[in-house]
Amino acid sequence: MNFAMTLDYQSCIDCKACEVACKEENGVQLGADKQRIWVSQSEKSIFGEPFVALHPSQCNHCLDAPCVDVCPTGSSYFALGGIVMTNKDTCILCKGCMEACPYDARFVDDTHVAVDKCNFCYDTRIVEGEMTTACQATCPTKVRLFGDIDDEESDIIQMLKKRKFYVLKEDEGTVPKLFYLLPEHDRNYAANSVDEGTTIYTWDTYKPIIAKARAKREAQWQPMQE
Amino acid sequence: MATYAGVEINKVSLKELLLSKSMWIIYLFLAIALWGMVDVVLERYFLSAVNAHDAGLDPTNKKMIAAMKEAVFGAGGEVKREAPWSLYIVNYMYMIYVGSGIIFIVAVAELLGEERIKRASAGFLTLGLAMIIAGLFTILMDLNILHIHHMLLSPKFTSGMWLMLPLYMIYIPLIVFKIYLTLSHKEQWSKQITIFILIVSLLVEIVEFYVQAKLFNMNEARNLWTTYPFLTLYFMVSSFAASAGVMILYTYFTYRNTDRNKCHDMMSLIQKFALYTVILLGAYEATSYLFIDKKWAEIILFGDFKLYFYAYLGMAVGIPFILLYKDFLNSSYKILASVFIIIGTYLGKIIFVYGGNAYPMSDRFGVGFEKYGEYKPVREVIFFMPPLGEILVVIGSIGIILFIYKIVDSYFSVSKMQEH
Repeated sequence: MNFAMTLDYQSCIDCKACEVACKEENGVQLGADKQRIWVSQSEKSIFGEPFVALHPSQCNHCLDAPCVDVCPTGSSYFALGGIVMTNKDTCILCKGCMEACPYDARFVDDTHVAVDKCNFCYDTRIVEGEMTTACQATCPTKVRLFGDIDDEESDIIQMLKKRKFYVLKEDEGTVPKLFYLLPEHDRNYAANSVDEGTTIYTWDTYKPIIAKARAKREAQWQPMQE
Repeated sequence: MATYAGVEINKVSLKELLLSKSMWIIYLFLAIALWGMVDVVLERYFLSAVNAHDAGLDPTNKKMIAAMKEAVFGAGGEVKREAPWSLYIVNYMYMIYVGSGIIFIVAVAELLGEERIKRASAGFLTLGLAMIIAGLFTILMDLNILHIHHMLLSPKFTSGMWLMLPLYMIYIPLIVFKIYLTLSHKEQWSKQITIFILIVSLLVEIVEFYVQAKLFNMNEARNLWTTYPFLTLYFMVSSFAASAGVMILYTYFTYRNTDRNKCHDMMSLIQKFALYTVILLGAYEATSYLFIDKKWAEIILFGDFKLYFYAYLGMAVGIPFILLYKDFLNSSYKILASVFIIIGTYLGKIIFVYGGNAYPMSDRFGVGFEKYGEYKPVREVIFFMPPLGEILVVIGSIGIILFIYKIVDSYFSVSKMQEH
C-alpha cells in the first residue's frame, strides 16, 4: 500500500470543516497556530478585480522526506503505506524536522511537548481498516480524496488518470504525495492559482518518480510505533 | 598544596572559594540562568494547553477556561512554527564554536611549538571547555529534557544531530585529558602522547565543524543555509575570529598584572592571528553573497536585515581591522577590537539563524488576511522576540563559563603560566 491524497482545490469554499474535524478527531491542541491541516490563500488583483485562490494543505507525506533523515531519535519515521509519522513519546523537541520540512507542516504540541503533524488519520482510522480521513469525510464539496495509489482500481488512481495535477515545491526533490488537481474547465482559475514555473503532471509522468523514490525509501517503512 | 597523579591541587576551603568577591558576579549570572530555567520549565511543562477532547469533557473547568483563553489570545506557545530555531541555537553555535576555536588554535600553536601560547594553554583550554559546556547547557534547555534519554534508547545513527552526542562524548574527555597533560609534571610521558592527542583532537574538531554545517545544510528548503558556499569553512573562520577576540580579552584580564611583558607578547601574537581571521572573514562575506540564493541575499543585503548585516560587518570586520592593523602599544585598542569582534560575530550568528528562517515555508502565514488582516501590508520577514526565559538562559550561560573556569582555576591554577 502507498497512501496519497488528491485535492480538488478549486472546490474549496474555506468553510474550515476539515480543520475542525481534524482537531476534534485527532485531539489536536487548540489554538490558531496549532493545525495539522489548513487552507492557504493567495491573493491577486486582475485588472483591479480581486482574485483569491484557496489551497487546502497539510503534511505532504513525501516519499523522500527530509524530516525523517534529520530526526536523531527516529521519532519521525515512515509507517507502512509510506505515511510520515511522529512518535511524541520519543521526540526530544530538537525541532530539526520543523526546519527540514519545506511545507511548514509541523508544529509543537504543547500538551505533549513534542512535534505534531498530519498522519492521514493513521492511528485513528487507517489501522482500524477505514480508507478515509477525517478531513475528507467532512468536506462538503469533496475537495479531498484519500486512497492507495498501489491499487489501480482505487478511486484516487482513477482520478489521477483522469485529471492533470501538480505538487508543491517539486524542486526540493521530496516527492510529495499531495496532488493538487488542475482546475479542469476554468483556465482563468488555473492560470491565476498556479505559478508559471510549476510542472503539470499526468499520472503516467509522475508514476516513475514515485517508483524511484519508493525504491529508495521502502526499506524504512515500519509498523506504527506505539 | 597536594599532588595527585602528577597534578598539583591547591587546598582551597569551600567557604573561601564560594564566598570570594569574584564569585558574586558569577552568582548574579547563575541566578539569571536559574530564573530563565524556571521560566522555561514553567512555560514548557505547566502552560495551560488543551485539545478538543479536553474541551468537550469538562468545558466549565477553570483550567480549561484559562487554556482556551491562552489558545485564542496567547502567544501561541513557546516555539513559533515559522521560526523553530531561535536564540538558543544562536547561543549554542556561538559558545560551541568559539570554545572549539580556542582549543583548535591552542592545539595548532602547540604543534608548531609556539611557546607564547603553550605556557598559557591550560587556561585557554579550560576556557574553551567551559564555553562548550555553556553551549551544551543552552541546547539542553532548548530540548525536551524529559525525553532526552531517547537519544540513547532509540538512537538514529545516520542523523547528524545524533552524531553530535558521541562526538562530544569523545571530544570533552579529550580536552580534559589535554588539560591534564598540560598540568601534569610527567613531562616525558606527556610529550610522547601529546602530539597524538593534539592530532586526534584537531581531527575531531574538524569533524565537529563539518557535522554542524551539515545540520544546517540538510534543510533543503532553507536556501540561505544550503547555498552558503563552504559552510564548514565559514563556521571555522568566523569562530576563529571570535576565539581570537576572546583570547585577547582573557590574556589581558588574566596576565596584565602578573607578567606584563609576556602578556604583551601573547596579545601581540593573538592580535596578528585575529587580524588575519578578520580579513579572511571579510573576504568570505564579500564573495559568499555572490553564491547565496538571490531571494535570501536580497533580504539580508538590501532588505529587513540590512542594518543588522552592516552592523555585523562593521563590528566583526571593519572596526577590528582598523584597530588591529597597526600594532599599537596601548592595549586598549586590542581590547576594544576584541569586544567589537565578539559582539559582531554574535550578531553574525543571529543573522545566520534568523535569516535562514526569514521566509515562511508555506504562504499560510506570509500572505493573506488570515494572519495580518485584510488591509495590512504583507510582511515577509519573520522575526519573533524570544521568550524571556530563553533570553535569561542565554545571558545566564555566561555564568556557567565563569563558574567552571573559577572552580578549575582555584584548584588547579590553570591560569598560572607553565614554563616548558
